[in-house]
Amino acid sequence: MAKEIFMPKLSSTMQIGTILQWFKEEGETVEVGEPLFEIMTDKINIEVDSYEEGTLLKRYFEEDDEVPINHVVGYIGDVGEGIPESPPGESGVSGKQTSSETPIEQLQAETSEQAFEQTEKVRATPAARRIAKEKEVSLNEIRGSGPNGRIQQVDVEKFEIPAATISSRATPLAEKVAIAEGVELQDIKGSGPRGKIYRADVESAKAAIDVPEILPTKRMKMTGIRKAVADRMLHSKSVAPHVTLNSEIDMTEVVAMRKKLLVPVEKQTGYRISYTEIILKATAHALKRHPNINISLEGNEIVYHDTINVGLAVALEDGLLVPVIKDADRKGFAELTVACKTAGQAAKESKLKPDEMSGGTFTISNLGMYAVDTFNPVINQPESAILGIGRIHDKPVGWEGQIVLRPMMGVGLSFDHRVIDGAPAAAFLTELKGILENPLELLM
Amino acid sequence: MRELTYLEAVREAMSQEMRTNEDVFILGEDIGVYGGAFGVTRGMIEEFGPERIRNTPISEAAISGTAVGAALTGMRPILELQFSDFMTIAMDNMVNQAAKIRYMYGGKGKVPMVLRTPAGSGTGAAAQHSQSLEAWMAHIPGLKVVQPSTAYDAKGLLKAAMDDDNPVIFYEHKLCYRTTSDVPEEVYSIPLGKADIKKQGTDVTIVATAIMVHKSLEAAEELEKQGIHAEVIDPRTLVPLDIETIVQSVKKTGRLVVVHEAVKRGGFGGEIASLIAESEAFDYLDAPIKRLGGKAVPIPYNPELEKATIPGVSDIIEAAKETLNRL
Repeated sequence: MAKEIFMPKLSSTMQIGTILQWFKEEGETVEVGEPLFEIMTDKINIEVDSYEEGTLLKRYFEEDDEVPINHVVGYIGDVGEGIPESPPGESGVSGKQTSSETPIEQLQAETSEQAFEQTEKVRATPAARRIAKEKEVSLNEIRGSGPNGRIQQVDVEKFEIPAATISSRATPLAEKVAIAEGVELQDIKGSGPRGKIYRADVESAKAAIDVPEILPTKRMKMTGIRKAVADRMLHSKSVAPHVTLNSEIDMTEVVAMRKKLLVPVEKQTGYRISYTEIILKATAHALKRHPNINISLEGNEIVYHDTINVGLAVALEDGLLVPVIKDADRKGFAELTVACKTAGQAAKESKLKPDEMSGGTFTISNLGMYAVDTFNPVINQPESAILGIGRIHDKPVGWEGQIVLRPMMGVGLSFDHRVIDGAPAAAFLTELKGILENPLELLM
Repeated sequence: MRELTYLEAVREAMSQEMRTNEDVFILGEDIGVYGGAFGVTRGMIEEFGPERIRNTPISEAAISGTAVGAALTGMRPILELQFSDFMTIAMDNMVNQAAKIRYMYGGKGKVPMVLRTPAGSGTGAAAQHSQSLEAWMAHIPGLKVVQPSTAYDAKGLLKAAMDDDNPVIFYEHKLCYRTTSDVPEEVYSIPLGKADIKKQGTDVTIVATAIMVHKSLEAAEELEKQGIHAEVIDPRTLVPLDIETIVQSVKKTGRLVVVHEAVKRGGFGGEIASLIAESEAFDYLDAPIKRLGGKAVPIPYNPELEKATIPGVSDIIEAAKETLNRL
C-alpha cells in the first residue's frame, strides 16, 4: 500500500512549509532515512528524511510551493500502485487507502527531534570551538572527522568557505533567478539560516544594483543640547502619561487689541508686541484662576506653586531652549514684551543664564509662525502641563447665526494625567479660550 | 659519566649526605647488616655504624613516631618502610603529626624528615605488598610527595628531599631499582616541583609517573614508528606539582593521556586531568583527556594477572592513538 509523504510540523508555530527542493525524482527508489526534500519553515530550513522505503510515486508540489502542515505532498510505494491524481489534502483524511500506519503525532515528534539535533547540537572539541571562533566560522557548516562526527581542530583548520559552495547555499529557485538577473550569488548575503540565500535576497540584491549610487549617509554623534533635549523628551514621555486637549480660539479681539497696543508698547520699549506676549499674559491669568494646573510632581508630593513662571520654548539651530518669564501674571504688556524679546535673543545667542531657564511652572510652545494648525506638545518636566500654539488664520465659522471668516487659532494643551485630570484641564483651557476671546478680562 | 642503578643512586645520595651532615640518620626494619628488603642500605652500616643505620622493631608506627620526634628535636631522619603498603600503620604519625606540627606551632617547630618506601607491583608480592597509594599522601596538606622514575632523578630529588625542612614522602618503584642511567658523582639537587619532559613531541602529551614513565617512553618509541610524536612528561613530584609544564605541553599537542600504576579510581591522574580541564589549556584540547590506571582490584599474585591489572605499553599506545582518532 502506498505511503503518504506529508508536510511535517516542525515547531509549535509552524502552519505551512515551503518546499525548497526535491532530492528524488518520481520513479526513483527511496531508502529509509534518505533525504526526500528540503523545506523552509518560519524558523529553519531542513531536509525531511523518508520514513518508508519504496519508489517515489508522486510529487504533488514542486519547489517554492507552500504546503500546509500535515498535507500530503507525495506518495512512496510500489510501482503501479493506485494513488490520487490530485493532492488529497490533509494526511489521513483522504481515505483509508492512504492512511499512515504510524500515528502522525509520533512522526511529528520524531521529525522535530531530528530537527533539533541537526540545528542545535554540535559535537566539537574545545580546540575546534576555539579555532572556529577565531576564524568566525559556524561549526554547523563543518563536517566532523572524529568519533560520532565530532569536529576536531583539524576539521576547522581545513574548512574554508569555497566559492563553489555558495551556490549550494542558495535555494534552486534563487539560483535560477540569480542567473536570469545576472546577479553574482557570491555577492549576496542570505537572510536564511546559516546564510541561506532565498529568491527575495537575490531580488533585493538586484534592486540594490539598479539603484543609482547614493552618497554616504551623514552621521553625527548626538551631543550637547541635542542630547539634553533627547533625554528630557524621552524622560517626560516615559514617566508622564500625556493627554492632550485641543481647542480653537477666536482671536478677533486679540488681533484688534494687539493693533492698539503696538504703538504704545513700541514707544515705551522699542519692541513690537507679538501674539506670544498676549497669549502668555492670558495663560498666566488663567493659571492664577486654576492653581491646580500650576503644579509639579516631586517624588510623592504634588507641589502647588505660588508663583507663575511661564517658560517659552525657543527653537535653536540644533535644539530647543526654554527661557522662563518669572511672575508672568504680575507683568504688564510692556514688561512682558521686553522680557520675552530679550530672553528669546539671549537663547538664540546661547547667553541664557541657568537661573533664566529654571523655575518654570508651565510652558508655552508657539509654532504659530508655521503652517501648523495644532499639535500635541511634550510636557517640560517637572511641570505638569504645556500649551502648544498653532497659527492664527481666517476660517469660516458659525458666528451669530452666520458663516463668517474669523481669525481662529488652534491650541493643544498636554497635561500629566498623574496629577491633573481631564475636567480641570478642560476647565483651564476653557478659561484661557474665554480670556483670549474677551481680552478685557485681563484687566480684571 | 658513569652509569648507576636507581638503587645505587638512592644509596649514594644518602651516603654523601651522611658524610657531611651529622644530623642525618636512617631507621627502618632490617636496614643494617641485611641491607633492607631491596638492599638499598647494603654496606651502609659498615660505613656509618649502628647508631646512624638503626634497625627497628617491626612497627611502622614506632618507626614513624620516632622519626617525627627526632626531626622535631633537631635531627634529620630518613625512615625506610619495607613496603609502602605499610604506610597505613604509619598514617597517624604522618598525617596527624608530621604534616601538621609546623603549621600548628606557627612555624616554631619543624619536621625535616624523609619517608622512603618501595611501591608498586611487578615482583609477585601480591595484594598487601604491591600497592601504589601515593594519592592518599598527595591529598594531605603538609606532606610533599616525590616519585622519581630514573636513577638520575632519584639522586637529585632525594638530596632536595633531605634538604627540605618539611616531611617528604619518597616513593621508590620496585621495578625502577634495577634501571640505570648516567648519574654524576658529585652531589646535586633537583628542585621539588619541577617536571621533566622525558621526550619531546607535538601530537599528544603523555603524563606518566614512576615505572609508567618507562612504559610510556617505550610506547612513544612505537608511536614514533607510526608517525605519532608523543611528548612524555614525568611530573617527578606530585606535591608540589609542576602543572605549568603540562599546561604548556597540552597547549602544544591538544591531547592528554595520564598514566599511573595506582588504581585509576581516585588516583592522582584525576587531579592532573581536572587541573588541565580548569586551565587555559582547555581551549586547546582536541580530544577527551584519557586516564590510564590500575584496575580496581587487589593486585593478584598470579604473574599474568598481576601484569593485566596495570596499564601496559600497548594500553598507552592505544590511548594515545584514540586521542588522535587513529584507531
